[in-house]
Amino acid sequence: MTAYLIFFFTVVGIYAIAVIGLNLQWGFTGLFNAGVVGFLAIGGYTFAILTGPPRADFFGGFSMPFMVGIAGAIIASMFGALLLGLATLKLREDYLAITTFGIAITIQLAALNSDWLTGGNLGLHGIPRPLQDLFESNAAYGVFYLGLVAVTLGIVYWGVEAIVRSPWGRVLKAIREDEVAAQSLGKNVLRYRLEALMLGAGLMGLSGALYVGFIAYISPFDFMPIVTFQIWTMLILGGSGNNRGAILGALVVWAIWSGSGALVANMLPPVWQARGGALQSVLIGLLLVLTLLYRPRGLIGEETTISRHVTGTTGAGLTKKKETKA
Amino acid sequence: MTLRHGMIAGVLALATMGFGGAASAQGCTVNLGGILTLTGTQGDIGKAIGDTAQMAIDQINEAGGIRGCRVNFILRDDQGQPQVGVDAAKQLVEVNRVQALIGTIGSGVSLPILTSVTAPARVTQVSCCSTSPTFTQLAIEGRTGGYWFRTIPTSLLQAVASANQTIDNGWRRTAVLYVNTDFGVNMARDYERAIKALGGAVTMMVPFNENQTSYRAEVQRALSQPHDSMMLIGFPQDGSTVAREWISLGGSQNLMLNNSLRSDQFLTNVGARFLNNAWGMDNAQVSAPSVEQFNRDFQARFNRPARGPGIHTVYDAVVVTALAMHAAGANADGTGIRDQMRRVISLNGEVHGTGVAGIKGALDAITAGRTIRYVGSTGPFQFDANGDVTGPALIWRIQNGQFAEVRTLDMDAMNALFARVNAAPR
Repeated sequence: MTAYLIFFFTVVGIYAIAVIGLNLQWGFTGLFNAGVVGFLAIGGYTFAILTGPPRADFFGGFSMPFMVGIAGAIIASMFGALLLGLATLKLREDYLAITTFGIAITIQLAALNSDWLTGGNLGLHGIPRPLQDLFESNAAYGVFYLGLVAVTLGIVYWGVEAIVRSPWGRVLKAIREDEVAAQSLGKNVLRYRLEALMLGAGLMGLSGALYVGFIAYISPFDFMPIVTFQIWTMLILGGSGNNRGAILGALVVWAIWSGSGALVANMLPPVWQARGGALQSVLIGLLLVLTLLYRPRGLIGEETTISRHVTGTTGAGLTKKKETKA
Repeated sequence: MTLRHGMIAGVLALATMGFGGAASAQGCTVNLGGILTLTGTQGDIGKAIGDTAQMAIDQINEAGGIRGCRVNFILRDDQGQPQVGVDAAKQLVEVNRVQALIGTIGSGVSLPILTSVTAPARVTQVSCCSTSPTFTQLAIEGRTGGYWFRTIPTSLLQAVASANQTIDNGWRRTAVLYVNTDFGVNMARDYERAIKALGGAVTMMVPFNENQTSYRAEVQRALSQPHDSMMLIGFPQDGSTVAREWISLGGSQNLMLNNSLRSDQFLTNVGARFLNNAWGMDNAQVSAPSVEQFNRDFQARFNRPARGPGIHTVYDAVVVTALAMHAAGANADGTGIRDQMRRVISLNGEVHGTGVAGIKGALDAITAGRTIRYVGSTGPFQFDANGDVTGPALIWRIQNGQFAEVRTLDMDAMNALFARVNAAPR
């Protein structure tokens, strides 16, 4: 059980980093990025190509150190976001969603068909896990990787919290609430939106790289549109606009996802086992709907921030106003 | 605040409740893990495979179970998503403590399960349905630890048998037309490799996409080099179109066909008189008593004929794993099971077939300490050093509008061919 929990929390931590990235884009800036998985894929593949062992028929396999892979993944995802942003960021809400969704699918299909770079449907295997040689047992390594993910998540959380509380972060919220008003105050809206998109994408790329480093294998099947949906669910359920909510959402949604499977497998009589998958999907949907019915703003809603000196006194009224907006 | 915390606690409690629910049947039970794709695009295929696996489990229990214990098959859904499959596998291994795991369908899910869960935890993994050649590569590199097995023949087996027949027919320059799916791509690559190793040559490799009305352009490309024969890899509908256009444009009527084209549809669509020099291979297990026994059991239980992908191979995956668990003893770990996987299909063993009677005979013989050879719903089979299944191959040809069985390449002949192909430079 302990070994499973270590594994579980590692995966949750990796997801949480991507959810914080999405929170920066949607929760704070109001960018509807429906192509989260595309940035995970860019990060994951960049990491795999930079750190993987050399292969006869492939480009890449540079056997670079772990940290180079991580840095490369972040930079590549941010660069991807830059290109995407320049092309599409003038679009508002639903149009941006459609475009980003399409681009994520394009990235997945490109990975599936670029045998020379990604290994196509066979994927890339044997990607080295950082410092594995130092650990004798898999259990000890599991603890180490959980620690690595936890520290990374901590840094990401602290960093993003600092950013959104800075003047720059306040501009993001202003854009989210009223773009025209922000513009009339002399803010370059497009530039801020682009920066938020890139920063969020960088975190998603980091998440993708950590996942590939953990599983030591990558294939296009890791990046199907359902992953975007899962990450969105984590954010909305945990509490959009709140980074602690993002982390909590990753924990709860993944617990529902994997716990429901265990529940169904243990409760169903053997003859019905093959139908268990459908029941699990129903259970996942039901739990998500119920949670949102009773906690429409997510498990932890957004904090009210007018000034850090008045938080808690006049906050209640403002919170309500925001609720109707969301 | 309390409501919020209550909700979180409730959700987490519900999630963890699943782990606690231990088996409640009387007597001892042995856990066997299963992961299949039960929902999503492959859900329909997966449900039928899951039902068949449960049928195998029920027959094993009726035959007395593993060391007298009931087998508790814990089947999980991977939803076709690697992250979900890996998580389910980790739970089965760490929480349910399974020592053997059946699964899964997609290679993209089976592979991360193998490399990040089962192989490191030394748990035996047996797949019914993953055909990717990457597994063979991993085994050669020593990354599977020998814990990987599959009961579905790799494309290499089919390709080697076909290539051997091409050479035996005296054809030396072959054009290859293949359907552009991972099945077709892998098969064509393996065929090219085998042909080269056995002394022939491939003149052109031309892929074609499914569901087109005409393949004239592809056929003309394949015809552009002098050739004396053509290997066609496809499915009946598109395959007929390709073959018709190939013949009408003056291509050689010396044809090698893959086993999906051994169909009446292909024969009628192309025309029997053009196919008198068409040959092909199939897995030899199409007619054995153990196969018919399985087909009868399946029909009786599900009230429909035993047709569909993965049904036969998953039955053998479950039964051979259970027999290995029985042979390995009551408290065997994954390594013990792994080491018995080949022994319960020993070439010189006492033959036992499918169905309750067949499984009971096999279990009793193992208990009595005798060497056995399980012959399954896919006929006789062996695992090679990489965990890939090998079996005899059947060569057939078309003559006067009839499919005729020419000969069988037995396992020794196949192994000799594999040795030659593997020894040749890639």
